[in-house]
Amino acid sequence: MKSYLSPVVALLGSVTLLAAAACSAGSGSSSGSSSPGADQSLAIGLVAEPASLDFTTTDGAAIPQALLGNVYNGLVKQDESGKIVPDLAKSWTISPDRKTYVFTLVDNAKFTNGQPFTADDAVFSIERVKTAWTTSLKSAMDVVQTAKAVSPTELQVTLTKPSNDWLFRMTTRIGAMFSKTGVDKLATEPIGTGPYKFGSWKRGDSIVLQRNDAYWGTKPHFGQVTLKYFKDPTALNNALLTGTINVIGTVQAPEALSQFTSNDKYQVIEGTTNGEVLLSFNNSRPVLSDIRVRSAIRAAIDHKALVETCWAGRGKLIGSMVPPTDPWYEDLTSVTPYDLPKAKSLLQAAGATGKTLRLRLPTLPYATSCGQVVKSQLEQAGLKVQIDQLEFPAAWLTAVLKNADYDMSIIAHVEPRDLGAVFNAKYYTRYDDPTLQQALAAADAGDEATQVSEMKKAARRLSEQAAADWLFLIPNLMVADKDLKGLPKNAITESLDLSTLSR
Amino acid sequence: MILRLVERTAVLLVSLAVSSVLVFGFLAVLPGDPARVALGVNASDEAVAELRRQFGLDRALTTQYVDWLTGLLHGDFGTSYISKAEIGPQITDRFQVTLWLVVTGMVIALLVAAPAGTVMAARHRKLSGLALSAFSQVGVAVPAFLAGILLIMLFAVKLGWLPANGWTPPAEDPGMFLRQLILPALSLGLVQGAVLTRYVRSAVLDVLREDYLRTARAKGLRPFPALWRHGLRNAAVPVVTVLGLQLATLLIGAVVVERVFVIPGLGSLLLDGVSNRDLLLVQDVVMVLVVAVLVVNFLVDLLYVALDPRLRVSR
Amino acid sequence: MSADLGPVGHAVGGRRRWNPSLLVGGFIVALIAVVALVSFVWTPYDATLVDPAGRLASPSWTHWLGTDKFGRDILSQLMVGSRTTLFVGLVAVGVAAVIGVPLGIFAAMTRRWSSELVMRANDLLLAFPALLLAIMFGAVFGASTTTAMVAIGIATIPSFVRVIRSGGMQVMRTEYVLAARAAGRRPFPIAIRHVLPNVVSLITVQASVSFAIAVLAEAALSFLGYGTPPPTPSWGRMLQESQEFLFSAPRLAVFPGLAIAVAVLGFNLLGDGLRDHFDPKLEDRR
Repeated sequence: MKSYLSPVVALLGSVTLLAAAACSAGSGSSSGSSSPGADQSLAIGLVAEPASLDFTTTDGAAIPQALLGNVYNGLVKQDESGKIVPDLAKSWTISPDRKTYVFTLVDNAKFTNGQPFTADDAVFSIERVKTAWTTSLKSAMDVVQTAKAVSPTELQVTLTKPSNDWLFRMTTRIGAMFSKTGVDKLATEPIGTGPYKFGSWKRGDSIVLQRNDAYWGTKPHFGQVTLKYFKDPTALNNALLTGTINVIGTVQAPEALSQFTSNDKYQVIEGTTNGEVLLSFNNSRPVLSDIRVRSAIRAAIDHKALVETCWAGRGKLIGSMVPPTDPWYEDLTSVTPYDLPKAKSLLQAAGATGKTLRLRLPTLPYATSCGQVVKSQLEQAGLKVQIDQLEFPAAWLTAVLKNADYDMSIIAHVEPRDLGAVFNAKYYTRYDDPTLQQALAAADAGDEATQVSEMKKAARRLSEQAAADWLFLIPNLMVADKDLKGLPKNAITESLDLSTLSR
Repeated sequence: MILRLVERTAVLLVSLAVSSVLVFGFLAVLPGDPARVALGVNASDEAVAELRRQFGLDRALTTQYVDWLTGLLHGDFGTSYISKAEIGPQITDRFQVTLWLVVTGMVIALLVAAPAGTVMAARHRKLSGLALSAFSQVGVAVPAFLAGILLIMLFAVKLGWLPANGWTPPAEDPGMFLRQLILPALSLGLVQGAVLTRYVRSAVLDVLREDYLRTARAKGLRPFPALWRHGLRNAAVPVVTVLGLQLATLLIGAVVVERVFVIPGLGSLLLDGVSNRDLLLVQDVVMVLVVAVLVVNFLVDLLYVALDPRLRVSR
Repeated sequence: MSADLGPVGHAVGGRRRWNPSLLVGGFIVALIAVVALVSFVWTPYDATLVDPAGRLASPSWTHWLGTDKFGRDILSQLMVGSRTTLFVGLVAVGVAAVIGVPLGIFAAMTRRWSSELVMRANDLLLAFPALLLAIMFGAVFGASTTTAMVAIGIATIPSFVRVIRSGGMQVMRTEYVLAARAAGRRPFPIAIRHVLPNVVSLITVQASVSFAIAVLAEAALSFLGYGTPPPTPSWGRMLQESQEFLFSAPRLAVFPGLAIAVAVLGFNLLGDGLRDHFDPKLEDRR
């Protein structure tokens, strides 16, 4: 329960998030992949550059995107279908009371500083989350009571209560394995066990990763991968068109996609992500604490027209806080369908017609774009909307996320399985709902079937209570050279897995 | 001359001191606690206080100011609150990039403006002069980033002659460096050239009216040779002044072109610093920009004296 | 080759006359002003009305310049955008003039260290160009039209101070000022009665040129995201928003780009024309 309550600054990434083209499995084999091309290199264009390389003290999705799965391994990871599969842990068992986990670790993994990976490092990494991490994500580890090394390849973790969520969080950056002797310069020289080792970082430009020749698993195809960062979506497109990069990790200007779809030098990949674009409400504000007003807003928004207008029609309509790749996904778009007359009468009934709401937008392309459509549609229903822009990240984070000084905002929440983290009384949504919390707690403690049914209940509850409006799900849009293989259709993890790519 | 040098130097030093106080003071009032930004929004108050202590943000402002300034004077720019990386090397690195861009741009500007402006002045009643004049008016009116976008569309995307964006240090790959430099330098240079042309024209017109040039012409020298032999040195004085000012403002002005061409220059570093609330970085970059302008103006001032003999005696 | 060296023996014309720059510049500026005024009472469509069904329409009789990705009428947006442009220019130039002119006159009238101090402070301000100030202000107060205007305004002060000071010093040497001083008039009345009226022409010229620079600065700031926030139409932001359509609908960039260029051209020409008009001696120099 606690881990749900603790707010997670998921969206830090959101710039980012768009960038968060996370690849999981998806194996490709080509003529070159049998003998990894030592000199073959690849350049990937992304949007948000990390502010630091240390995700234990700096928020933001850009750092795990670059490093997790590439430089760092976890004990477990998520495959493309969303299943939890082995990584540094070959296998694991869960005790009948669902509180004790025993992991069997691989015995041939080495850190890039030369040290072998052992259960001691795993204990060190897990305990370090509680002691040295400063980002809010660290609360996911609060449920751990003890972690101990039974033998160099056997790790035992005991939880204070049963928690399905804990093992899942271990697939995220929280579960990254660090070397006991390699955490002095995390911000500039990360050390891990992954298929790639950190090469160099030209700030404001790019991060270079080199193949880790001592990697314990299948060695990756490309000897060198450059992650190149672009502030401007058009510049990103131009870079691919002129051959500076080979992949657009995430398309930020979907309207410009036609220049690639019509060109047979490129492949366009379209799938889903974890990025729910929220029209978030401050549920504690007098006007918005009235469910009639919130429902009216949801009914007043023509989502199909909206996504057509502000994201070129690419992006799935979801209707609640669950992406289609989660086991408990249901299409909830019919809970509050577009119905302008109903919206008007609901507002009348609530006495909110003509009231002014402040829509505070972060300076992100999708937010600026969709905000103008939302304003126009809500004003047709009889509300007044006043838009102002806050610089992302710093200004928006302080005003909206921290101080909740807003009525409505638009932001993509990119954290996986973030329903409980986003909708609670302490987070900026100020959504206080014991019924929801009960469902979430039951889901966390129960077996697999219980988890699915309780999470479905929670998602439906949110939608019916109109705790926010879900504008659309950010699509995983990638463009790449035609012959590049192994790009993931869906981007559902925090990392951009480079090890599966090949020509 | 010596007196003037001493006086100018004194003014420069005072200006530097005052601007350092201004920059520090301004950023001290910037909302958004850097420690909290560094830690994320939900960090505990204790953690924030601890980090503030680490950064030295809990000390009196005057102490912080003196520390900062002493550091700068020793070439120590400090360590970024956010990326934990040394700021000095970043600034040096970015400054070089911007300098390449701006200087190349200014050279192009001068190459365009000097002949065009001279012709415009010498033929200012002729069609060719008027046409050039109209052309420069239009050039002045085009924003540099629009010029950049148009150049990319034409030369990079349509024709495929040059890369659309990116930056390679000259030491790494001189060929690529040049190819990537051409378009951004052109977008800066053409627009600045249009501006400069107008100053060259008016400077040359002034010179044309001077008695010595009329004498030269009376002696039978044809107009362009007369101008070449006698006029250019004098026309150079006001042009150098403008050039200096342009160079200085372009150090930050180039940020727009840097953005269009994805060039990791000083302006981009500043924008990144601002959006991450990397305060010390912002403070350092602003200070470097301001110092650059003040120093350039100081040098222009000296050059001014060197170029114009009449000014050597005055004051 | 017979280049005409021009004004050898060119007569100093005493008659003030109209010139092409003034006419063309004046016409463009007047046109923008009229469009801005008209936009208060009439635009073809509501400039901020989003119409998903009619998005990205090509120019036609219903939408003369077509619509953007939100289905907003481009002509209406350009019309309302002219208001933003004029507003930014007016406030920026206003700030610069209100502070710069008195300082310039002060520096012209006092001869001692106080004048020197003003000019040195002025040089110092030159080290903070509009873009730098706007980014710094944007960081402190949030990006908005107001912060952009004020930043541009402050950065424009030095050019006013310089021009007004040198003009003012000439006025101070004229006989009537010398006479007034001899008659024991106090400095303030001299400044108001004699100096100010004689530098009005300089102020006008400088204002016009600064206006052009302000328009360019606003466009650059909007491009960087430090200018006018949505949904208020602004030419700079229209240009920025048009970027992803450079291939599919280049006209979205063409119209605001043209509007900016024409406006800047207009104010520059007006400035040149005014200079010639007020000072016929300089007619050929610009």
